[in-house]
Amino acid sequence: MAAEVNEVGVSVPLSVRLRFGHAAVQHLADEIGVDLLHIKGVAVDPELRSGRDSGSDVDVLVRPGHVDRLDRAMRRHGWRLYSTFEWGSPFGHAQTYLHDAWGYVDIHRFFPGIRLEPGRAFEQFWRDRNEVQIARIGCHVPSVTAQGVLLVLNAARSTNGRSVDVRMAWVDASTERRAEMTALVADLDASVAFAAATGELERYRGERDYRLWKIVSEGGSRSAEWWARIRAAPNLGAALRVAARAPRVNVDHLAHRLGRAPTRGEVAGEFFRRPARAVREAWRGIRRAEPGR
Amino acid sequence: MTGLRRAPGIGIQEQNGAVYVAPLPDGPIVVLDGVAGVIWHAACAGDRATIAERVAEATDAAADEIRDDVDAFVADLVARGLLVYDP
Repeated sequence: MAAEVNEVGVSVPLSVRLRFGHAAVQHLADEIGVDLLHIKGVAVDPELRSGRDSGSDVDVLVRPGHVDRLDRAMRRHGWRLYSTFEWGSPFGHAQTYLHDAWGYVDIHRFFPGIRLEPGRAFEQFWRDRNEVQIARIGCHVPSVTAQGVLLVLNAARSTNGRSVDVRMAWVDASTERRAEMTALVADLDASVAFAAATGELERYRGERDYRLWKIVSEGGSRSAEWWARIRAAPNLGAALRVAARAPRVNVDHLAHRLGRAPTRGEVAGEFFRRPARAVREAWRGIRRAEPGR
Repeated sequence: MTGLRRAPGIGIQEQNGAVYVAPLPDGPIVVLDGVAGVIWHAACAGDRATIAERVAEATDAAADEIRDDVDAFVADLVARGLLVYDP
């Protein structure tokens, strides 16, 4: 009879890797005194999960003032930056890392749709947090009510509506839970994005971010989405930052497409291809808008 | 004689009969399948002098025949920092 500790030549199910990913990030956060909350995937309460698979990555919401410390610690422990806040998503809310053992981790510094200042929003979630065991490590998660709100807000960013999440978290929720969620959405100043997922967006036509959530939840051209982002920005400075970003090349995306760091020439080439793409999109938009076609 | 327990900072999962153990936050993931998982459970469940007896009971083997292999395996788990002595 022989048994050996096997480290090579075996496959580890994705669901196992992801659970370890949650546990690894929590362990590291505990070591360096970083506050974070596990959101989505296996961290979601079973009441809201509907028995689906556990996703393809680990998502954590980090206290904004702790993001830099976590970033440095993760890089020291084998996580490689895969995409940046700047280019990871049009909202600039999350940064993705890849670890050989644990796979992908998304670090969120705020959650799209919440207009309350990110530090105060995090504190709101942190104050009512729970703890769940993942891979026998105690991991902090938002309250079940807050998890429901985050699932609905997340669904608002999907043009297919992630109807299962909205049904589980909102449509099928008890009257008491819906009242708690509604109160939290108001505290987080997240009513517009929430309404985009629950089909009540038209109540918010006068809001500055109405058009953005209309496009994000229902679809639209890339250029229309950027215009909506500029219009949704809370002040001129934020609007200018968005405007400055819009015409630049997403270097992370280009690097992943090429499988290596792009050369200056490739970045320049991509820059000149993008306006042409925007013109084509605008042309298609005009054609769609023309009556009788 | 004392027992053994999971070392601090070690994550554990069980799925489809396999035990997955990982030192956090660096890894790697160690897969303890079949009898390796049985030994892990036996090692965490009582006096370390009688681990072989518990493994024998679970596998219908003769304790004296497996003792050397079991003890060597447990020593390896301790050397890797996955298990620690529990005084």
